[in-house]
Amino acid sequence: MAEDARREQTPLISVVGAVRRYPGVTALRGVDLEIAPGEIVALTGENGSGKSTLSKLIGGVEQPDEGTILVDGHETVIPNPAAARDLGIVMISQELTLAPSLTVAENIMMGRLPRRRGAVNWSAARRQARAVLDELGVHVCVDTVVRELSVELQQEVEIARAISSRARLLILDEATSSLSEAATERLLELVREQARRGVAILMISHRMPELYSTAQRATVLRDGALVGSVPLPSTPEPELVRMMVGRDLGDYYGSREVEIGEPVLTVADLVSADGELAPTSFEVRAGEVVGIAGLVGSGKAQLAMALGGAIPASGEVRVRGRAVHLGAPSKAIEAGIGYVPDDRRRAALLPVRSVADNFSVAWLRRLGKRGVIRTKMERREVRDAIARYGVKTSSPGKRITQLSGGNQQKVILGRTFARGCDVYVLSEPTRGVDVGSKSAIYSMIHDLARAGAAVVVISSELPELIGISDRILVFFRGRVCGELAGAEIDEHRIGELAVSGRIHDSLPGHEQERKLDHVN
Amino acid sequence: MSTDVIEGGRVAQPEDPVDPTEPGGRARLASVWAELRRVSGRSTGVIAGLVILCIYLAITEPIFATWGNITNVVAGNSVILVLAIGATFVILSGGIDLSTAAAGAAAGMVFGLLLEHGAGGLLAVLGTLAFGLLLGFVNGFLISYIKIPFLVVTLGTLSVFESFGLVVNGGKTINTFSLGGFSAVYKFTLNDVAGIPYLLIFDVILVVVAALVLRFTSLGRSIYAIGSNSEAARLNGINVARTTLLVYVIAGLCAGIGALVQVGRLTGASPNIDSTLLLTVIAAVLIGGTAYTGGEGGVGGTVLGVLFLGIIQNGLTLSDVSTFWRGTVNGVVLIVAVALGVARDRGWLRLPGGLRRG
Repeated sequence: MAEDARREQTPLISVVGAVRRYPGVTALRGVDLEIAPGEIVALTGENGSGKSTLSKLIGGVEQPDEGTILVDGHETVIPNPAAARDLGIVMISQELTLAPSLTVAENIMMGRLPRRRGAVNWSAARRQARAVLDELGVHVCVDTVVRELSVELQQEVEIARAISSRARLLILDEATSSLSEAATERLLELVREQARRGVAILMISHRMPELYSTAQRATVLRDGALVGSVPLPSTPEPELVRMMVGRDLGDYYGSREVEIGEPVLTVADLVSADGELAPTSFEVRAGEVVGIAGLVGSGKAQLAMALGGAIPASGEVRVRGRAVHLGAPSKAIEAGIGYVPDDRRRAALLPVRSVADNFSVAWLRRLGKRGVIRTKMERREVRDAIARYGVKTSSPGKRITQLSGGNQQKVILGRTFARGCDVYVLSEPTRGVDVGSKSAIYSMIHDLARAGAAVVVISSELPELIGISDRILVFFRGRVCGELAGAEIDEHRIGELAVSGRIHDSLPGHEQERKLDHVN
Repeated sequence: MSTDVIEGGRVAQPEDPVDPTEPGGRARLASVWAELRRVSGRSTGVIAGLVILCIYLAITEPIFATWGNITNVVAGNSVILVLAIGATFVILSGGIDLSTAAAGAAAGMVFGLLLEHGAGGLLAVLGTLAFGLLLGFVNGFLISYIKIPFLVVTLGTLSVFESFGLVVNGGKTINTFSLGGFSAVYKFTLNDVAGIPYLLIFDVILVVVAALVLRFTSLGRSIYAIGSNSEAARLNGINVARTTLLVYVIAGLCAGIGALVQVGRLTGASPNIDSTLLLTVIAAVLIGGTAYTGGEGGVGGTVLGVLFLGIIQNGLTLSDVSTFWRGTVNGVVLIVAVALGVARDRGWLRLPGGLRRG
């Protein structure tokens, strides 16, 4: 149906032969793209393939060096984002653009507040904002100050604002990357509804399931060139992935035969000081990968931070039997815990420093000899790590922010892995990372397990968690509400546990739940 | 915990990069050159400005290029340089120290009083340095352990240190010229060896030590890491509070050293602070390319910044321009220099090949 629609109608937007050059690189080399009204097109490709450059051209953020953009069949120059907005082109990215200190109503109506005799008509503004939210089914009070909303609700308000501004083309740039599964599903439903009303949608996402559930067509870029445009969901996933990375990834998550050994990490009654993590106990054995699932706010993020020493916590954590002093990252490191936080930008990157500095910041103690850095050793180890973890960079001196998200993450993970820890706590290790890098990261995680480390992976992407974990603990309201291993692991059960805290048929998860209820 | 748990067992994938630092003469040279360009990138503007300024002054003012004038510029800017080195540490760590000029004045008064009370040269010098350390410790402790914002703390201590300098001697200047133990310090700031002022040698040593500390020690690396992203630094096991404390202690020590140079040159300890000193010190650091947001830059740039401002002053004096213009020139140069840095970071300046940031 969508195919037919595309042939009959004038495309809402078409990009013809777009070329964009940056100093030293050509980000786009003659790319074509067409989107018809009501069509949902996924723009896919690895990081650095030119997706965001293309969306910037459409959004008026940048200008093509060659090629043209046609809106409704007419050649159009989009000189700036304001002009794009006037054309009905609205961009939603993962970074929120709401004013945190203003209310929901003020944010939604910003720039078009209804007036009466020169003064703002607040009751009308609130009414109109309410109507927008109701129409989209967003349940939030219009008088709430945005700062006080969860990130997910903020994202929904952002989308409500975008949609209510009479968008004709909605560009979603990784808009779901910070959302939980449930919130993502709601967002995608909003998007589908908009498409049914004739809004054209361009979605950029690394998450395969959401592309398959939402988009009608996928346009694939690789190294700035158009690889092809294929119908969804009829194109099988391996085929699409092959188009993106230009080769067969084989078994995406990697298979492995690992001897599970002695318990390495033992956690008893671990509680975070903010109370988000209720007393939690579990153990992880050598060679084991344990996945942590749960909704946002379930305590899984606090578990990772508590184990890494990033937040104050109490209880007992032991590595190979030795107690870990809690609440200090340096103590966790000394105890042999390698923690990688989920928020790369806020807590992991040294943005103005080089690739080399971003590696060695994790090794200062080892590289130092009476306080002096052994630079020869540093250079050698950085070079080794760049090669071992497959970081694509022209030089170790290059600024880390000039690398793609996937390569930045390989540096962040690599510097921790190279420390040789007994336990790894990896929070959202593949967030904002392209398909090729994801597969590389999974194989790194398997290497850690094979070398005898105990690995804890916290992730909001269930397929990934299921693909790499030997065992999955599901968190609900701050505690483990279920544990699944081997054949019991499936998306449905995890989802049910995460949402309601239990499984409705009789499954081994119950036993765990009863045990925990007992503790309370 | 062993260091080599991970085996290189992963099958090489097509995306594995070709090692860019493969040994080989030309590649190595190229990488050194790239590194040099990267390091000098932030200072390109000030280097260009300095060269143009020097050529202009050398042509228009015959006295400018004489050795006598050059040593004069060095001597006249030593206090600024010493304080600016301390300020570089602080700004690199993501902070700022507004109290540095006041700390210098207070330490100068302590030096004068110690001499006046017959402490002798060595003891007075050590006492002054220790006092500088103490003032830096106060700043650092309040900022890193009590967690009061650095602007508030150093604005507060600026006022306290200034007032301390006035209180200890009733606001009066101490004439140190004839005091016992002063002559060594005086000679140090005045004399030279084979035409090279001791002060210049001392400045060079200080700059080299600071540069080595920043580049090759765990402390230096930690300062850059904290200035770049303090949460990331903390999660990688860096003791952020202790490092921050040390940064302000270093700035305090520099204030103590600056006080000795100042008193030595003026042959007197004055509680009155040169009102342009603080601005000049911070301006020099920023003009030299150290980012005001921290994490980027270094003392090399600071030296260039001090020289640039110093030579402009020298040029104004030589061309008989009123010193009242000094503040205007410093302020404008500061804003233009930082604006150029911002423009470069945002890619607004597309400099041709060799000058582009690597």
